[in-house]
Amino acid sequence: MSALRETSVGVVGTEAVRVTARALAHRYGPQRGLEPLSFEVVAPAVVAVTGPNGVGKSTLLKIVAGLLEPSRGEATLAVGGRSVLAAERRRCVGYAGPELSFYPELGVTENLTFAAMTRGLPAPAVRVRESLDRVGLSRHGTERVAALSSGMMQRLRIAFALLHRPPLLLLDEPGNHLDDEGRVALRAIVAEEGRAGLVLLATNDEREWRLAERRIELSGRGLGHSA
Amino acid sequence: MPNAGSSFLAAVWAILRKECRSEWRTRYGLNAAVLFAVTSLTGVSFAVGRLTDRSDVLAALLWVVLLFAALASLSHAFVREVEGRTLTLLRLVASPTEIALGKLLFNLVFLTVLEAVTVPLFLILMGAPGPRWGAFLALLASGSFALATSATLVGALISQTRGRGALFAGVSLPLLLPVLAAAVAGTRNQWAGGSAAVEVRMLMAYAAATLGASLLLYDHLWED
Repeated sequence: MSALRETSVGVVGTEAVRVTARALAHRYGPQRGLEPLSFEVVAPAVVAVTGPNGVGKSTLLKIVAGLLEPSRGEATLAVGGRSVLAAERRRCVGYAGPELSFYPELGVTENLTFAAMTRGLPAPAVRVRESLDRVGLSRHGTERVAALSSGMMQRLRIAFALLHRPPLLLLDEPGNHLDDEGRVALRAIVAEEGRAGLVLLATNDEREWRLAERRIELSGRGLGHSA
Repeated sequence: MPNAGSSFLAAVWAILRKECRSEWRTRYGLNAAVLFAVTSLTGVSFAVGRLTDRSDVLAALLWVVLLFAALASLSHAFVREVEGRTLTLLRLVASPTEIALGKLLFNLVFLTVLEAVTVPLFLILMGAPGPRWGAFLALLASGSFALATSATLVGALISQTRGRGALFAGVSLPLLLPVLAAAVAGTRNQWAGGSAAVEVRMLMAYAAATLGASLLLYDHLWED
């Protein structure tokens, strides 16, 4: 059994949002997964999660988002001092990851409007416009998702994550496929969201992890391996 | 802030609207279902002619056509989300119960549209005697409700499994046979001048039980 490896990141600030992982681990197979990990991050902050491919960066973000049940340990989220159950996390978490896909037969605005209405957001049209403006996609609102380029799709993922103004933003490889203009918009979004809330970035791109003031470096070689 | 109840209904309504819009744009299921219904009814009508005095055969044929026309689409309500990789999006905006109820309502709308096309065609082509409309419509409604709840539940259960096709057939068979048997018996009875009240009650009870079990299950369906 691999030893518990502790990585601790403490960020002093308001306690609006707090993410705590205790001996958190996930196993996909005998040699793949997230090694036991403990940390605590508190808003306001931008925290980068870095490490080699397959070490569990995306897995960590999915667990925090409530999309994946960890094999061991726990990841808790508290907003305003109150613990948020995994099943309710979608209300507090904005998630943008590579596997997030949209309905190709619907337009950009239609996809986001669907998400806003399903979330029960007030004034969905305003929220959608606001999100598209922030990622620079306003001019492409009527286009079908099937017609979007990879970079535009990435912007749409970020717009989706911002739609409900979540206190916790989880961005998995957010700079993928973005052009220079897109990266400028991403920097602005991360800085702005990190001032008020908590942003977790999973990335290996130095341009992205330099946006963060703290790093959680995952260096495990996979579950089942001795250190 | 919207309260929990209105938020739940808003989510279900939004999912239903999205399903209708996607189906309208892609015609993923409706075209195939209507094509199956029309071609099979036309084929049977050419082969055996009008079956005016065979209420037993008419009842069975009606429900077999409806079942097979609808099944491919009903079972794919969740599979489409998995294969299109949109399930993550759905899970991020709605609870499993909201998603499943939205899909169930869409399946009911789908069946209603399918029946609106198929049933008049069936009555004309097969030379079916004029039904007792109250009982006949009650059977169609309760049979569709039972069919939709069963198919939605099975579709949700198998959506993330390997070998979905084979699994769907295996799991559906025991769930759909009672629906088919009750619906055929009730339809035959109403054409024979008898009562279909027992079958309507049976179908409604079956649908309610399936829906109840589904509501207990849905929240645990996509826990990885």
